[in-house]
Amino acid sequence: MTGFFKRLPEAVVRVGIVFLLFITTVSFARWMIPASLKNGREHRTATVKRETAKAIHYAGADACTECHKEINAVKTEGYHRNLSCETCHGAAKNHAEDPDVKAVTDKVREACTRCHMYDPSRPTGFPQINPVVHNPRKQCVECHKPHSPKPPHVPQECQACHGQIARTKEVSPHVDLPCTTCHTVDVQHKVSPREVRAQIPSDRSFCAKCHSIDSPVKETQKVDIKTHGEKYLCWQCHYPHEPELHSYGTKTLP
Amino acid sequence: MHTAAHAMLFLLPQTTGYIFPNEAEMPWSLLIVVYPYLTGLVAGAFILASLVKVFNVKELQPVYRLSLLTALAFLLIAPLPLLLHLGHPERSYEIFLTPNLTSAMAMFGFVYAWYLMVVLLLEIWFTYRRELIVWSQGERTVMKVVYRVLSLFSVDTSEESAAFDRKAIKVITIVGIPSAFLLHGYVGFIFGSVKANPWWSSVLMPIVFLFSAIVSGIALVTFLYMVLTTLRRERINMACLDKMASFLFYAVILDFSLEFLDFIHRLYESEESIKILSELVMNRLFFSLGVIQVLLGMFVPLGIMVLIRVLRLDEELRKLLYFVAVILIQLGIFATRWNVVIGGQMFSKSFRGLMEYKAKIGGMDGFLMTLVLLVLPFIVLTVLIKVLPPWDRPESVAR
Ligand code: HEC
Ligand code: HEC
Ligand code: HEC
Ligand code: HEC
Ligand code: HEC
Ligand code: HEC
Ligand code: HEC
Ligand code: HEC
Repeated sequence: MTGFFKRLPEAVVRVGIVFLLFITTVSFARWMIPASLKNGREHRTATVKRETAKAIHYAGADACTECHKEINAVKTEGYHRNLSCETCHGAAKNHAEDPDVKAVTDKVREACTRCHMYDPSRPTGFPQINPVVHNPRKQCVECHKPHSPKPPHVPQECQACHGQIARTKEVSPHVDLPCTTCHTVDVQHKVSPREVRAQIPSDRSFCAKCHSIDSPVKETQKVDIKTHGEKYLCWQCHYPHEPELHSYGTKTLP
Repeated sequence: MHTAAHAMLFLLPQTTGYIFPNEAEMPWSLLIVVYPYLTGLVAGAFILASLVKVFNVKELQPVYRLSLLTALAFLLIAPLPLLLHLGHPERSYEIFLTPNLTSAMAMFGFVYAWYLMVVLLLEIWFTYRRELIVWSQGERTVMKVVYRVLSLFSVDTSEESAAFDRKAIKVITIVGIPSAFLLHGYVGFIFGSVKANPWWSSVLMPIVFLFSAIVSGIALVTFLYMVLTTLRRERINMACLDKMASFLFYAVILDFSLEFLDFIHRLYESEESIKILSELVMNRLFFSLGVIQVLLGMFVPLGIMVLIRVLRLDEELRKLLYFVAVILIQLGIFATRWNVVIGGQMFSKSFRGLMEYKAKIGGMDGFLMTLVLLVLPFIVLTVLIKVLPPWDRPESVAR
């Protein structure tokens, strides 16, 4: 064995020692690291333990009802019925256990805009405003009751709640068609949109009214609806609020 | 959360067409442009060095060591942009100690460690081992200790040991070439394998990256060689310079052909993304791709080198023109990285809109940090050159 080492060039021995040292250090460091950082399963168990050991700050959605019956009753009637009290008042476990500890109430505009500021990723119909132009310099709670927010008057335009769709239609070939051409909408839809639904066209014959080759409507492109995309609804291929075709590249991309 | 929403309000007006809500902000910033740029320089510089040892290109001997040190200096800085971009550079050791074996991104750690330890450091050590012993004997102060430690307390200066060094270097270089390909091919792969992004997703990506790496590496070493030699008030070895330039010439042609091939291929395939990609190229990337990358970074340098060949210009003029060419090429390659990284994030996955990128000035991943990261390798290189002079000293011309 020693003979073998003697015969190795000294450079190899020295480099070998450095590599050995390196590998030993790394292995040692790996060995020192607790298993919970190396093994996925143990990592999750340890995380659960660590998190459950933390102090609880929130009392939960039902804790406030007991003492704030009236407010809760108001809230359950209004648009904010699905919001937990602590969403706006912050963690209030201490207060629920001992009312002498005050709960926080944030009245600044930012407390509302975090949910209501315009953001195209929010779902259809979600009430959104642009805080820059929507009654700036006043707090939201001056006009809207936070526990039962209602717009002071019912919005007249579909655009108030369907901004994205309205703006899309604005630059599409369908710009001149009012929403009500295609949707039958009860006035109550604007008051309680979830209870009173708006209607959506149900079949191909609807679009055919204007686009079929035998349609009397002028100034529309015509297709033979018997053969054109026959197995599908028209809006499985054409987005009705922006039927783009020839407009692509000219209207959408300036 | 709130700042993100405000950033949206600020960024949205700068987009054109339709984009998805989560596309307004770009996740990969300037630093991710610097990262492939730096690794490219490493791979390129190393391949230049390997031309001497494996392919026996004698003319390049004067820049052999310089290119090794350049590769090392840039390699040491190369992971910094990534670590800074992740936001917690101080925790980076955790990545190295608990690597994720199934992540393509984490592979960089392994490729990097292999390349640094098994290729570059070893080759440099074997190259300098004998000199280190000689230098340590000539020194008195701290440097004596430094040289002793760097030589790993080696004492053997015999001709036999030198012969072994040479053999070792050859073997390491042979292993090193595929490793250098791996290093930068990997970087290309990371982009090329993103199948959701038509601007990146291409099997040619690793190869295109590789050749642009070789181009940038040779150009950088040429630049350094010219500047350093002038600073040392020595004569530039014209044979060496001409040889580097001719390699550079062929590399640029190859690089250009590959990118052109990619371009033709995309045009002919004309997939559904082609419209938005042409919008991208004609609008957002017109300057950085059309003007800087292709015109200034490829055509002008190629023109210069053709001119030099055809007109047989005299030395002074040749030097001047080479100098201009390598700077332009450097600029062009940086633009190439920009066009890949930033360009790939400038169009919406809906293929119907374009985003805009505004670099931050300050902060851990801003413009100033980018400048720092681009200067840092040169500072490291200065230190390396001070400690391990890459020029043949009169007393060490033994080899
Ligand atoms: C044990 C009964 C009790 C429970 C449970 C309770 N509160 Fe109260 N809360 C009170 C009392 C008492 C007051 C003081 C009323 C007053 O001063 O008019 C109060 C006041 C408040 C105030 C007004 C503080 C102010 O600055 O005027 C807020 C906000 C509030 N509670 C929120 C909550 C929330 C949120 C919860 C649920 C996590 C909750 N409370 C649960 C008893 C309770
Ligand atoms: C949308 C956010 C929001 C939610 C949800 C909310 N609050 Fe409030 N709450 C406010 C704001 C804002 C004020 C301050 C109103 C003001 O000063 O005009 C306030 C005031 C109060 C007050 C003191 C003033 C008053 O009206 O008596 C109490 C008590 C209170 N909230 C309890 C509750 C309880 C209990 C719940 C859950 C049932 C709840 N809040 C849910 C935003 C909210
Ligand atoms: C945690 C998110 C959240 C916060 C914070 C919040 N809201 Fe709401 N808000 C909602 C939801 C959810 C609805 C119900 C939307 C629906 O029915 O589709 C709603 C409905 C409304 C409406 C009714 C709009 C309509 O459709 O007529 C108004 C007005 C309103 N909120 C005002 C406020 C004000 C003022 C604040 C600040 C005190 C506030 N909201 C804070 C989530 C929030
Ligand atoms: C000066 C009174 C006033 C203030 C202050 C005010 N609003 Fe309104 N808000 C209104 C009125 C009036 C409407 C109803 C119609 C409209 O403007 O479209 C309304 C409508 C809304 C709607 C429903 C929009 C829709 O599309 O259904 C929301 C949500 C809303 N406001 C949130 C806020 C928020 C959040 C703030 C604070 C940042 C705020 N408001 C401040 C008066 C006010
Ligand atoms: C006060 C806000 C508001 C106004 C004003 C409003 N809507 Fe709606 N609309 C909604 C909401 C919220 C939904 C989502 C209902 C759901 O998905 O539960 C909705 C859904 C719809 C739907 C889809 C129905 C479905 O079953 O998927 C259509 C179509 C529609 N609205 C058309 C209109 C038209 C047309 C107008 C104008 C005449 C209008 N809405 C005005 C809030 C509004
Ligand atoms: C050319 C006819 C047409 C016009 C005009 C039109 N819609 Fe629609 N709309 C449809 C059809 C068809 C659907 C069903 C689409 C589907 O299910 O994919 C629909 C779906 C919707 C939906 C629910 C699905 C979605 O895309 O979010 C809403 C909300 C809606 N329309 C609102 C409006 C509003 C608001 C306007 C006016 C600004 C309008 N529409 C104008 C034909 C039309
Ligand atoms: C009330 C009549 C009317 C109805 C109903 C209607 N459209 Fe249209 N449509 C038009 C008009 C008008 C144009 C614009 C023609 C122009 O100016 O080029 C148009 C344009 C189009 C285009 C663009 C054609 C092109 O080449 O750019 C398509 C696609 C289209 N509509 C599809 C539909 C679909 C799908 C429906 C059913 C949801 C529908 N339309 C219902 C009137 C109508
Ligand atoms: C399977 C998908 C599909 C379906 C379903 C479909 N279309 Fe189309 N439509 C297309 C395509 C693709 C084009 C463009 C190519 C062409 O001209 O055939 C088109 C073109 C059109 C045009 C423009 C023709 C022109 O000359 O510019 C109109 C109008 C149109 N469709 C209306 C309709 C109507 C109305 C329906 C429902 C009865 C419908 N489409 C169903 C795919 C479809």
